[in-house]
Amino acid sequence: MSDAARADRKATRVPIRAGIGLRAPHCREMIASRPDIGWVEVHSENYFGDGGQPHRFLERIRADYPLSLHGVGLGLGSTAPLDLDHLRSLERLIGRYEPGLVSEHLCWSAAGGRHLNDLLPLPYTEEALAHVCGRIDEAQQVLGRQLLIENVSSYLQFRHSTIPEWEFLAEVSRRSGSAILLDVNNIYVNAVNHGFDPLTYLEAVPTAAVREIHLGGFDASGACLIDTHGTPVAAEVWTLYREAVARIGPCPTLVEWDTDIPALDVLLAEASKAAGILAEADAVAA
Amino acid sequence: MPSLLELQTEFARALVARDERSLMTEWIVAGRGLAPDERIGVYRNNVFSNYRAVLREVYPVVLALVDEPFFKGAADAYVSTYPSRSGNLNDFGGELGDFLAGWPPARQLPYLPDVARLEWAVEHAFHAAEAPLLDLTTLAAVAQEVLPGLHFALHPASRIVRSPYPILRIWQVNQPDFNGDRSANLDAGGDTVLVIRRGATVELERLSPGELELLQALAADLTLAQAHARALEADPALDLTELLRHHVLDGTLVAFHHDKEATA
Repeated sequence: MSDAARADRKATRVPIRAGIGLRAPHCREMIASRPDIGWVEVHSENYFGDGGQPHRFLERIRADYPLSLHGVGLGLGSTAPLDLDHLRSLERLIGRYEPGLVSEHLCWSAAGGRHLNDLLPLPYTEEALAHVCGRIDEAQQVLGRQLLIENVSSYLQFRHSTIPEWEFLAEVSRRSGSAILLDVNNIYVNAVNHGFDPLTYLEAVPTAAVREIHLGGFDASGACLIDTHGTPVAAEVWTLYREAVARIGPCPTLVEWDTDIPALDVLLAEASKAAGILAEADAVAA
Repeated sequence: MPSLLELQTEFARALVARDERSLMTEWIVAGRGLAPDERIGVYRNNVFSNYRAVLREVYPVVLALVDEPFFKGAADAYVSTYPSRSGNLNDFGGELGDFLAGWPPARQLPYLPDVARLEWAVEHAFHAAEAPLLDLTTLAAVAQEVLPGLHFALHPASRIVRSPYPILRIWQVNQPDFNGDRSANLDAGGDTVLVIRRGATVELERLSPGELELLQALAADLTLAQAHARALEADPALDLTELLRHHVLDGTLVAFHHDKEATA
């Protein structure tokens, strides 16, 4: 790539449009058909390898679209030491692709010498708040940039939590200087699972800190809702998304689909629904 | 009230040990249709399902050789024996071959561990670094008398897997696009397989005994002359020119340097 092209690319911000989570089965079609979509997001860890097909595809796609890197494995809330190798892999990836956004989750994932490779819930206590803010600060220092931190779905609550989840999320952003990746589906899932009003959550979100919104589908076949990203976005979540956009203002919005991955067209149709809601909000604001 | 460290340590232990009477149950809010141990169970199910999905993706041939309950049992026992050590799930699963070699239910399938090792080599090759083809003009310019002292580097996306079982045949007949006779004769002798990514495609090829010695010696940074001598011990009729032609043109050997540069 020429220096000029690289400089051009460096300036590529993630636009206030709808994007899709880029998954391996869709790469060839994305390259061949270059659908009209605002941006793409990938799971950072899937590109920690040095070479091969994943990078060949992503280089091509990055040339056509702004990119967001979304981490699932750093475990910012874990008490195990922050994995500097993991952080360095992420740093290399950021240097290679110059993403517009870099995000991680408000959760923990490793303890007792083992990784559980899942987004595990923190107790909402002062201790956990201080701990996770310190770790986010450390990660932001190493990477030399602001991270977006995403609220996660949860299937249990700790009895000794003293802070409502929405206040915890807001306080993490305020103390650590991180931005918020607001997953509207996760708010809905937790509202149902734990019995609170999702609007209470939305009202507490510091709107200026939100840089990205996630939408995805959940599984409702069991005794609680599970965030599988394996179904279309639910009607109730679209309603909540409209509410979120009305409060926060139009914001880059991603549709995620990770299990039972459908045809690319189906995913693009979900994203265009989000694009429609963003356009309505723009029209109201104008 | 547990500290954050106590909570995470006990949560991790209770998930993996399948401990339903863990202290954890006392720390979780009851109600809304699910008891605390059922809520832990949701996470346990998510965690183990994730790991099974990763192993299914990396080990499709092992999966094809056994039935679903066997694979699930192996996967879950593997997770307990070889904990994940990385926040990157792509690092998970590399010791499945070693695990299967010591797992009693797999004893009747003695070739299974080596098939798993072969599949992990394929996974490694898929993600490993790129390396351009060796510069033939520079190689051609090397004087004949200097050639024996050259060292060669193997492609970073290459690995050699050896087995007393015909693992290449087993791997080939269990590919989704394979048509024809799916039988493999276990008494047919073993396979030595070079797993290498050429471009974006991972390829598997059988190595002769002399070829194996040659490539292993070069990988150990011996000179071409030393590697050739070892290869001749394994196969006195070895055609060095033909082997070099193949492994240079097809990208197994991707760089070379002179003996003096190595010691300089």
